[in-house]
Order: sequence, then structure tokens, then C-alpha cells
Amino acid sequence: MNTSRYSLKTVPGWLCVIVAIAMTIGCSPAAETKAGVKKIAAGQEFSGFLKDYAALKPNPNLDGNALTFAAADAKQNLRSYFAIIVDPVEVYIATDADASKVSDDSRIALTNYFQHALIGAVSDAFPVVETPSPLTLRLRTALVGVDVGGQVAAGDAPPDAKPFERALNIGKVGVEMELVDSKTGERIAAMVDRTNLGDGAEVGAANFSRVQKFAAAREAFDEWASRVRTFLDSEHELKGDDALRADKSYQPYGSEMPKQ
Amino acid sequence: MKRVLSILGGLLLLCSSSYLAQKDEGPPFHAYVDSDLCARLMLGPITTARQECSVKTYKDGSNAVLVRLDDNTVFSVNKEKMVKEYVGGFGEAAGEVKVKSGTMKLQSFKPLDRGEIPPGPAQKLLDVRTYNAKGSAETHEKVRHELAMIPYITNFDFISFTMVGNDVILTGWTVRDTNRSDAEFRVKRVPGVANVINNIEILPLGGTDMEIRAAARAALQRNLSTYFWSNGSDIKIVVKNGTIILLGSVRTQQDSDIATVQCNSVSFVFHVFNMLRVTPPAPKDKG
Repeated sequence: MNTSRYSLKTVPGWLCVIVAIAMTIGCSPAAETKAGVKKIAAGQEFSGFLKDYAALKPNPNLDGNALTFAAADAKQNLRSYFAIIVDPVEVYIATDADASKVSDDSRIALTNYFQHALIGAVSDAFPVVETPSPLTLRLRTALVGVDVGGQVAAGDAPPDAKPFERALNIGKVGVEMELVDSKTGERIAAMVDRTNLGDGAEVGAANFSRVQKFAAAREAFDEWASRVRTFLDSEHELKGDDALRADKSYQPYGSEMPKQ
Repeated sequence: MKRVLSILGGLLLLCSSSYLAQKDEGPPFHAYVDSDLCARLMLGPITTARQECSVKTYKDGSNAVLVRLDDNTVFSVNKEKMVKEYVGGFGEAAGEVKVKSGTMKLQSFKPLDRGEIPPGPAQKLLDVRTYNAKGSAETHEKVRHELAMIPYITNFDFISFTMVGNDVILTGWTVRDTNRSDAEFRVKRVPGVANVINNIEILPLGGTDMEIRAAARAALQRNLSTYFWSNGSDIKIVVKNGTIILLGSVRTQQDSDIATVQCNSVSFVFHVFNMLRVTPPAPKDKG
């Protein structure tokens, strides 16, 4: 039997490993730098957190530079769902940031607060659940462009707020989020919010939301969460023919005997 | 010293718990024992037809609830067994009520005959004439339109209402908190509305109910697609603890029967209450 000189059997194992690593790095715009933190690849406009950015368009219902996408499929759109799973928030640090200076404590404080802000913003419209189901969305969110901030001075936060050695700067952060079907993973909506709401804002303590010095960060997170809700509200608003049909279709039940 | 402190602590705990228990107890009220279905769909006087509806739908699987006669507020109760044998009858109920969520921790229930309900608001709401005092047609239409335009209403919510004079009684079921509060907020703003009683129940989101909702909607969309459009539907599918209540309207009895058959074929469904109205299209819509 005629075999090729360059069959895989002849390639050394170590070379395969190197090629595989190189391909992985080359294909993804972000690389995991340490547990829980990824870095945006140099020269990339987006982090790579979303599966696709091509369908995103400016949204006139949102101020600033928000780009959104919402599936228009009649059988599978945002209105087909009414519960939500809110995933832990992921962090992508700026290209030139030193990942070793991002402590786990500061990352956790940042992501926990934003996750709670998101839950607070959406939960009365989309009850938060933990189990995937056909009517449940999964909200995936990333904070993109987090940078290493200044050292936290002794007087910046009271001891009970558990100050960090070094703050995280969210001054140039953007938010990327995606709503996917919790069962199939199919994308239903997405949003990239690059409006610079937190100019100069820093997270310098575990309980930063209680500390006046870090109020700008708290306000920025609350505002981003509120904009996610505004996006959802605008997509649920009844317009045009849908509004006419909903109005025509709705008849209340009164005091008559229900027929069975 | 330690023993004295622990005795004092125990006494304090005892006093505070008995104080809290007293605080939680609302005053007893006169109630009609209804089925969940009739309480939320047959808003009005407690007639013989209503009592028959209560008994029948309770037997078919609808939960027992209490309707406070003073103001028509519906309460789901934690101890259904205390009231289940009195469905279709009256009584005096005592316990902790939470008007906002429409729930009650029932502590006691004393059955009464209709004639034992004392004169006053409770007796007034048993009188058919009270319900003849309709609000204006204009106000009714404005309320209807406001409720039709609630943005987060899905195929799985149904909100209904009736007017008693200038008061609006909201009722129905929703899977979202925001629909309950939004409905009340919108109706309160309508000129001519005096008071709003909110009997809209927030449905539990148990895993089985979620599966039933999805399967029932898929089955109805496949077989009765004409009643579904991109952002809504003429047929509403209310699912509560394995029970499906079909609401809204269809054009023919055959479509209504298809809906029942399709929902009955969904796994884990205990019972289907078909409350669909059959409304043939107006002559100009035909063809």
C-alpha cells in the first residue's frame, strides 16, 4: 500500500501541540490571561465574547453608541420567552493592562455588583430562574476594556468596605451582552453598549457601592443595567399591525357563565 | 447570672413572637369559597350559576380560593383542606392576608349560611343589583384598550376585568410581576375609574409547568396557526400546577375542540379547561 511521506504518523507529537496552540491563539480575538480574566487581542474592535457582531445595528431607542440585534423570526423572538437565567459576568481587560494586577477580589466585586444590577433591572419583566427550559433565555454578559486603576489610599474606603490594594478602572469599559435560548443556545438578541458612562470610575473596595468615592462606578453599572432593560422594553412594545391586532383580539371575561 | 440572662432572653423571644403573630393576623372576614377558575373569570354576584360553576370546576381540578365579600378580593389559601368541603358556600375566614400577592395563611374557617352574612358591604356584593350599576361604556372601552396594550403580555397571560360602578376589578393570571403592577397602574390613570381591586395572580414557574406551556403552545401553533401572529395570539394558554386554561376566542367550535384535544395530548397535563369563546367572523370578514 502506498503511503504518503508526510502522513501524520511521521509528524512529531510536540509539533502538533505547538501548531494546535498557535491556531487557538490565532483564531480567537481574546486570550485567557488568568482565571476569570480574558484580554482583548490587540487591534480588535470587539472582544470576541459574542458569537457574531455583523448583525448588530444602531438602536434609535437608546442614546449613545449602542448596537443591538433582535431576532425577527415570528416563532422565535424575544416575546417567545418570559424567564431568564443571568450568567455570571465575564471580564475582558484592556489590551495593554497588566493581568497580574487584577486581583480575584476586585474582579469578583465588579462582576457580582453588575450581575445583581442586571437581575434587579430585568427580574420583574423576566423572572429569574436557574433551570434551562424552552421559554427561558440565558443572559450572557461581559465587561470589556477593564483596566488596572490606581492604588487605593488608606482613607479612600472605610475598613468595613474591604478596600483593595489596587482599584479597577472602568472608565473605558463597554458592555457586550447576548440573550440566547437556554436550551438550544440559539441567539435571540444581542447588545454592545460602548457609551462611555463611567468616565474615571473605579472599583476600589469589595463593598464599593457603599463608598462615596466609588459612586461613579456604581452609577455606571446601574445605568448599563437600566439600558439593557430599556432595550428589552423597546422590543416588547406593541407597534403597527401587532398593536391593532392585539387591541382587536382582547375581550375581557365578565360576569357571564364560562362555558365548558 | 447566665441563667437569668437566658431566661430573660427566652421571655423576650416569646413576647416578640406572640406580638408578631398578633400583628400578622388580619380581622376575620366574610368569604365565598370559590374555585380559582370561577373566581377569576366570573366576576359578579354569587348566583346559583356561579355556585354551580365553583363546584364543577373545583371537582375538575381548579384550586379552592376565598373571595372576600367586602371588596371582591381573591385569596389563594395555604390550607385548602380547611375550605374544600365548603366550595360553593360561605363562611367567616381568619388568618394572615397579603393583599399584594393575593395570598392568605388561613388559621380558621367557620361555615355560614348565606342568610347569616350581616348587612353591610359583604351583603351588598351578594346583591345582583349592585352589579347592574355599570360604569360608562367609554370608561370601559378605555380600560379594555389600556389592558390590551400591556407590552409584556404573552401567550401565557390573561388579564380580565369588570366594572362595578366606577370601580374596576382586575383579575386573571400572569407569569410576570410587571404585568400585575402595570395593569393596575394603567387602569388607575383612566379618567372615570375610582378604585382598582387587583386580583391578578402571579403564576408559579415550576419546571413541569414550563414544559407544558412550551408544548401546548407548539401544538396549538402547529394546528391552529391562524390564531397566532408574530407578537401575540387570539388563544391564551394559562398553565397552573399541571392544569391548562384556554382563554380568548376562536372562529368555530371545531377549532375550539381541536385546541382541547391538542392540549390534552401534552405530557403531564391533569386537566384542560376550555374557556374559549366561539366568535364567528363578521360577514364582511368572510372569504
